[in-house]
Amino acid sequence: MSTDQNQTVSTEAATDPVNHEPETNDSPPSKSSGWAVFLFFMIGFVGSILSGWILFPELLYSKKDQPIDFNHAVHLDVVSDDCESCHYFRDDGSFAGMPDLSSCIDCHEEAQTDDPEEIKFVDEYVTPDIEVPWLNHSKQPDCVFFSHSAHVIGADMSCESCHGDIGTSEHTRVYEENRLTGYSRDIWGYSISRLGKPEAGEPKPMKMNDCAKCHKEETGHKGACFQCHK
Amino acid sequence: MKDKNAKRYGMVIDLDKCTGCGSCMVGCYSENNVPFKADETNKLDSINWIRVYKITNNKTYPNTEVCYLPMPCMQCDGAHEGHSPCVSVCPAVATDYDYDTGIVSQIYTRCFGCRYCMAACPYHARKFNWWDPVWPADMEKYLSPNVSPRMRGVVEKCSFCFHRYQLARDKAYLEKREELEENEYQTACAEACPTGAITFGDLNNKHHAVYKLKNSPRAFRLLERLNTNPKVYYLTSKSWVRKAGDNYLAHEEPTKIKNNIKEHH
Amino acid sequence: MKIDRRSFLTYTTALVLGGAAGSMLTPAPWKLTDDVSIWTQNWPWTPVPEDGEVTYKQSVCTLCPGGCGINVRLIDGRPVKIKGLEDHPVNKGSLCPMGISGLQYLYGPSRVTSPLKREGKRGEGKWKKVSWEEALGAVTKKLAELRASGRPQSVACITGSDQGTTPNLIGRFLTAYGSPNYIRSATAQDAIEQAIYLTQGKQGTPVFDIENADFVLSFGSGILDGWGSAGRMFNLYGSQKPAKKIIQVEPRLSDTAAKANQWLGINPGTEGALALGLAHVIIKESLYDRNFVENFAFGFDDWTDDNGKTHDGFAKMVKNFAPDKVSKITGIDKAEIVSLARAFARASKPIAINGRGHGAIPGSIDESLAVQSLNALVGNINKPGGISAIPDSNYAKWPEVNIDEIASKGMQQPRIDGAGSEQFPNTRFLLNRLPEIINSAKGESPVQALLVTDANPMYTLPDTAATKKAFDRIPFIVSFSPYMDETASHADYILPNHSYLERLQDVPTAAGISRQVISLAKPVVKPTYETKHVGDSFILIAKALGGFIENAFPWEDYEAFLKETLKDQWRKLKKKGIIEIKYDLPEPLAFTFNTVSTKFEFYPTARGSVKQKQNSALPTYTPVPIEGDVQRFKLVLIPYDSIRLAGGAIANAPFMTKTVDDTVLKKQVGLLEINPATAKGLGLKEGATALLTTPKGETTVKVHLYEGIKPGIIAMPRGLGHTAYSEFLADKGINVNTLTGPIEDPGSGLDMAWGIRAKLIRI
Repeated sequence: MSTDQNQTVSTEAATDPVNHEPETNDSPPSKSSGWAVFLFFMIGFVGSILSGWILFPELLYSKKDQPIDFNHAVHLDVVSDDCESCHYFRDDGSFAGMPDLSSCIDCHEEAQTDDPEEIKFVDEYVTPDIEVPWLNHSKQPDCVFFSHSAHVIGADMSCESCHGDIGTSEHTRVYEENRLTGYSRDIWGYSISRLGKPEAGEPKPMKMNDCAKCHKEETGHKGACFQCHK
Repeated sequence: MKDKNAKRYGMVIDLDKCTGCGSCMVGCYSENNVPFKADETNKLDSINWIRVYKITNNKTYPNTEVCYLPMPCMQCDGAHEGHSPCVSVCPAVATDYDYDTGIVSQIYTRCFGCRYCMAACPYHARKFNWWDPVWPADMEKYLSPNVSPRMRGVVEKCSFCFHRYQLARDKAYLEKREELEENEYQTACAEACPTGAITFGDLNNKHHAVYKLKNSPRAFRLLERLNTNPKVYYLTSKSWVRKAGDNYLAHEEPTKIKNNIKEHH
Repeated sequence: MKIDRRSFLTYTTALVLGGAAGSMLTPAPWKLTDDVSIWTQNWPWTPVPEDGEVTYKQSVCTLCPGGCGINVRLIDGRPVKIKGLEDHPVNKGSLCPMGISGLQYLYGPSRVTSPLKREGKRGEGKWKKVSWEEALGAVTKKLAELRASGRPQSVACITGSDQGTTPNLIGRFLTAYGSPNYIRSATAQDAIEQAIYLTQGKQGTPVFDIENADFVLSFGSGILDGWGSAGRMFNLYGSQKPAKKIIQVEPRLSDTAAKANQWLGINPGTEGALALGLAHVIIKESLYDRNFVENFAFGFDDWTDDNGKTHDGFAKMVKNFAPDKVSKITGIDKAEIVSLARAFARASKPIAINGRGHGAIPGSIDESLAVQSLNALVGNINKPGGISAIPDSNYAKWPEVNIDEIASKGMQQPRIDGAGSEQFPNTRFLLNRLPEIINSAKGESPVQALLVTDANPMYTLPDTAATKKAFDRIPFIVSFSPYMDETASHADYILPNHSYLERLQDVPTAAGISRQVISLAKPVVKPTYETKHVGDSFILIAKALGGFIENAFPWEDYEAFLKETLKDQWRKLKKKGIIEIKYDLPEPLAFTFNTVSTKFEFYPTARGSVKQKQNSALPTYTPVPIEGDVQRFKLVLIPYDSIRLAGGAIANAPFMTKTVDDTVLKKQVGLLEINPATAKGLGLKEGATALLTTPKGETTVKVHLYEGIKPGIIAMPRGLGHTAYSEFLADKGINVNTLTGPIEDPGSGLDMAWGIRAKLIRI
């Protein structure tokens, strides 16, 4: 703030009949302590750093639980030991993504255990024939075309290399949704700074730069726009 | 970055066979979620990825002749491959040239609507969304998930149905194939053309029909002398149609196709 | 430390600056910038179509009678795209723009989404949603009342087709109910069928084997503008051998004329004279098929009847049509006529066809007879590459209808439209006569209740004002249309049918193709709205009427009815979507005809009773007296058909209207085509506004100068000027039917108008 402005403010205060306070006006102008200014600066500085790193990510994402607490580990153990038995490719090479009820119904026509989550699944979804509104951590926006077959079959990549070790999880993760963009937090990546590499087993971030980076490393070029956009 | 398997997808449109029915336009609208509005008669704000123009030989009755001229995006190579007029002017990298297919992209979420590309395009292939599209009374239900619906304020154009290329490639990956068959990737307009006037394929692949057709003595391209190197070729047996393909003066003979892009075999 | 105002501000500033500096070292500003830009890319009102599994369903397009096979792409059961069905015998993968726009007939603002009861005045657009019970109940009540008062014949039904189970079911209903007034919309097919019947004695669907012909002489048939099965014609054109010739005879350079090997601009309405002129040259130069004419034809030479009276033969009659004279009538150069006749006769498989544009107007019987005679002259009857007729598919065989006394009395009444009467014995339906008959009736209208399905007469009949007046006199109108078309919007009740992609329907052979196939239109998606199959509506009304009418319908619903109709073929049809019924095309040159003479009759004896007033039943050319005083109306207005505009019962989809050029429609104003020379004489420049007047009405138009139209002629497309539907179609241009009127063919009663006189004044 400049001195000019300070003077203007004082003048206004002096002529303002409502704010007229003779005591203040009579006292000598106080001197701001340099240390105090620095202290306030630091309070602001540290405060915003703390809120930027801790509070901001908390506020930016809303948290939702999956409709059913799905146990991947049990299914890998009991059903099949690969992902593709449920997350399969269709005959035309497209990827089916989240399995629908028809994939589950063979085993879960009726509850097989007394697990409350399974009972809930059967009662609320299987019996009334309603698809489970799973929250997809890896859902890309409409402008993105992503080919699973190019990556999984063409480039022989494992599911884990992008999705982490979700296959061995016993519980679903909390789904965090960006309040502004509506994207899953996984797209940006769990590190709010996007610095460093994801921990082993963590899903990889999936923003355009992440795709481009890997493409550059693997193919020597980031690729043309249409390669991933529609 | 351009590998030896690179394709140059292109189109050959036989004007002798085109009856002007408009099936290509409608096939394109329904394939690519092209919006429509109550009044589409102002063709400057009417969004068409392919538009069939009607041209005449300017002779009086009864010597009048009419030719229909379907115009999609010409997917120009430019003077050197990759130097399409629109790509060179886009300040947002919202349109680029794919060296693997020769197709010029348009990314709606990247475009900020400056319309430089429209000014640069000599073929009026690019259209601007002056309004947000509206699909009334449940019509949203027929939209295809393979092409993103656009929003107000962006430019759009023909993509040679690139999504069909992507989907065909998905299938090829599944079947562990490197190459696509000719019929696996066809544009919606080529598919819709009821007289088979539109042929689509890899101009570099001598097994594809377009390879031979583009060298036909009937072949020509639009505005050949601009050096835009379009990948859309036309066939006609009428000299006046060929002459209408560029701004030739009365004494000038139509220029031969100058293909300065090296072909791969 | 004393906090005064000044230091407070200083410290606050320090705090804010510190905060700002600190935030730069956090992800917040960068992340927010990124997120905000993404947010602007994902407006909630921009739809995000759901992805899913791709499947295909095969069916048949029933938007027009063409019967083209379609392949519908679905994503997660949701139809997203229609393309032609590759292996369908009619269209072999080709489809017209209307067929490709099909999904816009499934959804959209023109759909009637539930039964409606009229609230305000007719056509006012005020409706009340009612239940199916109420709607069916109201129709049943009205029909029961009319029967109770002994007037079942005052119920008429207008349909778009008389082939297949749905029209047959409705016909059966009317019979059981007691009304002979089942009226199908007429097309050029009616005139051609009648000409084939008169010359060959065959009642059936005409076949034009254009596939195998090598010389197609088209008297104005828009074979590339939507005539016949459009998909088939386009496919044929695209795959034809270069040697095949198409000659197009019409006053306007249509798409067909533009693609033809030769275009002959003819004075409109004189096509019959040209056909006879060509016959003249062919006979004079002995270019005709001597074997056919001498052995299998009757009436070519002069002949003597049982009473010893000598009649002129065809050969003698056409002597009146020498090239000089025909040239004057048709406006075609004499040399052109001679060379066309020679080329036609010398081609190995020439075929002559007629029916202007899409074939919406039947045209004169004389013209169709002249064209058939031309085909006979070159012996191209019942041969590959020629003309024949296949018997109407007769798979619809049900137990005889037992009718009660009221119905019996009603069925003995003459048809209101006069078809089949002594005056028009060979004509089956005469919808074009209905408005005039109702309007001129003294006392109450002969039609007391009108049921309309698969037709939109309020739009398609010429002389819209007269039609509206007639319909206003009908006390009770029920529409079964899935769309809010002109007729539906003037109805008292709308009982909406499913849209074509939601309903089951058998589709018999379309006119033209030389194979008798039955296709099955299968629902590709469950009904979206509260609609009901029109067959089910009729069955429910029959059941509610009770008695003999109920007994005539022992079937639970339309599907059961269809199943029983097709019997053992049902399973095959359901599985394959198409069955072919073998019929015996006579062996080449084994010509057998069902006529009196058992020969092809150049002199159609069956026409004798009709032509009593004239001396001869031979086809002749008499100018069609089109309406309007020549002095007052110096120009001639002709309607034309375009493949991008649907002029029939089903109107344009928004996608089709989008393809229409700005030389045809500009904003809401239709453009009138006029030759620049004619325009100059009237002081009209491109785009000028003018007042167009005909004896039937007047309207404001803009003019489009087009060298491809004969001077003195002005042309306007069919398919614009709708008053109903939605903003995507309504009030765009002019419905040409508001400016034209029907002209009754004295021989058949069918409409033979091809235009009307007109006046154009610059305003």
